[in-house]
Amino acid sequence: MVTILISRMRSPFSLKQEFLKKWILGLQRCRSSKKNMSIFERKKVIKLSADVAVASARKGITCWSRALIADAVKEGNADKHLAEKILGPASERQPTEKVPVGAMAYNKRIRSKKIPKRGSVIRRTIKCAPQAARPSSIVKRLVGKRRQILRSLIPGGEFMNGVSLIEETLDYIISLRAQVDVMRSLASASKLVNLN
Amino acid sequence: MDIGEKDKYELGKRDEHNNINYQAPVLSTDWQFGGANLTSAGMSLVPTTNPLAIGSSCASASLVDSFGSSLWEHPSNSQNMGFCDISVQNGASSSNAMEIGKGLPNSLRTSIDRPFDMGWNAASAMLKGGIFLPNTTGILAQTLSQLPADSAFIERAARFSSFNGGNFCDMVNSFGVPEPMGLYARGVGLMQGPDDIFAVNGMKSVSVMESQKSKLDATEATRDAGLRVENRAKTSPLENERKSESLMQPNEEVKQGTGGSGNESDEAEISSRDGGQDELSTLDGTGGEPSAKGLSSKKRKKSIQDAEIDRAKGGQTSTKTAKDSPENQQKQSMMINKTTGKQGSPASRPPKEEYIHVRARRGQATNSHSLAERVRREKISERMKFLQDLVPGCSKVTGKAVMLDEIINYVQSLQRQVEFLSMKLATVNPRLDFSIEALLAKDIIQSRAGPSSTLGFSPDLSMGYPPLHPSQPGLVQAPLPVIGNSSDVIHRALSSQLTSMTGGLKEPNQHSNAWEDELHNVVQMNYGTSAPSDSLDVNGPRPSSNRKVEL
Repeated sequence: MVTILISRMRSPFSLKQEFLKKWILGLQRCRSSKKNMSIFERKKVIKLSADVAVASARKGITCWSRALIADAVKEGNADKHLAEKILGPASERQPTEKVPVGAMAYNKRIRSKKIPKRGSVIRRTIKCAPQAARPSSIVKRLVGKRRQILRSLIPGGEFMNGVSLIEETLDYIISLRAQVDVMRSLASASKLVNLN
Repeated sequence: MDIGEKDKYELGKRDEHNNINYQAPVLSTDWQFGGANLTSAGMSLVPTTNPLAIGSSCASASLVDSFGSSLWEHPSNSQNMGFCDISVQNGASSSNAMEIGKGLPNSLRTSIDRPFDMGWNAASAMLKGGIFLPNTTGILAQTLSQLPADSAFIERAARFSSFNGGNFCDMVNSFGVPEPMGLYARGVGLMQGPDDIFAVNGMKSVSVMESQKSKLDATEATRDAGLRVENRAKTSPLENERKSESLMQPNEEVKQGTGGSGNESDEAEISSRDGGQDELSTLDGTGGEPSAKGLSSKKRKKSIQDAEIDRAKGGQTSTKTAKDSPENQQKQSMMINKTTGKQGSPASRPPKEEYIHVRARRGQATNSHSLAERVRREKISERMKFLQDLVPGCSKVTGKAVMLDEIINYVQSLQRQVEFLSMKLATVNPRLDFSIEALLAKDIIQSRAGPSSTLGFSPDLSMGYPPLHPSQPGLVQAPLPVIGNSSDVIHRALSSQLTSMTGGLKEPNQHSNAWEDELHNVVQMNYGTSAPSDSLDVNGPRPSSNRKVEL
């Protein structure tokens, strides 16, 4: 996993190019759907295609990317058709190679894992309440709280334990940063072109 | 002035620039000196060299040369273009020399800085104005592969790589100032088969050098030793002697520093289940002896032959926990790759489990749970060090809670930026067509990928233009000499021009016309050179009469 991170940090440029390419493709796929879209719809399409593009740029190696795509196309999602359209026909979707078996199973058990985790955390904190005086337990509680927040931030973060959480965070930060850079450069380029 | 800029950028880095400009606490003069020397072509701005830098040790200078050259040749950083231009233009002062060395990888720099710091505190005080970019560990990895290999250093490198936390500190302290730097760098260079190993080394060294709780790290690291052993003990009680014997040899070897069989570092293996053997007791018995030497926190790697034997024995090990197995595999595959050089490919993560032999530290609790916890904690702290490099502003922060806070803030801000930018893009485009903008964006991305060459360009261009157009006010690039007729060069030139002329303001209105004309030229050139996959839309028919003739 760390190998992937290192290689990614080495070539942010290629990551950006790939993201841009996929993003434009996804946008093209969505473009023909409606004639007049409201601004919010456009924004939604843009963001969704950007997220999907970034996630698919990972080719299923990281957990968060798989979770992001899975969330986009899951049954209860309102924009499922949009996401599916962006992803393209099923034949084009990247197969998830190199996936550790355990992590794959995680993605399936979306609902089941959620509740016990929360319960266990709550139980743990309640139990520790009388011993709050000890600094180590305080630190643990603080760190645990922040971990929970981090888990909620990262897509698919609820299934990650300590070490993988941080690795996924690393990768997610790198991808987010590339995404923001590309979007910003695209925005500035569009502004320049439109100024004339 | 530099400090002011630094502060400003530190404040605005999250929201505005999203460039990774954060200042390193210490910069080694050698980096700048070597880097400046090697890029003498474009580095007319480099002022008088620091006399202290000249007096640097030869070992570090040679390393710096190799680092500097490759650093300048492989600029993969995508940020900082504008800022570096600004800083360059701000006048030649010794502090500017530091900013030139911006491409340094953070981890290695911080790790090497300490030994330098001991020797050249005065110089380091001067160097505080440096700006660094992360994301260059890869560059360093490439450069390190060029370092010469030496058999004696292989072992030391192996030891370095296998050491954790406190041990490295001990070794550093014992070896003195200039040596650890050379040893470490050479050792890291030797480990350069796959890059992940460097990452491991980098992380470890960073953790060593930077952690202010080095003791805690040391204890954790030593706990790892016992923990892995405990894992095996916990999961399956089996015979000890065989394993312990086989383990003993590599342990002795490493300890005595011979280790010459080429199996450089130890193999740490985790047995999650059967096939593991309870070495805990035996290792503890033998562990007392090495730990007495103060080198107790090693994760021993078995020799290759032993590893294979173990793999054959291990067979199908049902994962103890699904979570642990991927990490373990990855971790061991990292270490195993280190020893064997390359076992196939990055996909060589063996589906079967490997074993991490870990020794319990002397005087530490050998309870299986606590040891497992310690290993886990050690891994987590390793990754956190990595995150420290990534998240700006995290280098000065210690402690998990605060760092997690920073990370959470950073992720939230990035997500908010994505939202904001997507809304902005939605407003800019009435329809969802981004063809031309995409090409331009690609150019911009490309041009950003070469900040160092931009740096080389900017002084020449900025100094060349005023004499060319003395009569025209403002920024006019009419007879802009096209160097190589490449779009990104033009972009870079334009951006440098803009930043130099406007002192860093982004695209002031008065320059927008000339800027756009150049962009249109770029667009024309792009359409001429490459066949775009997208179709040209209504924005297509730009007046070609706008094209300015370049020589």
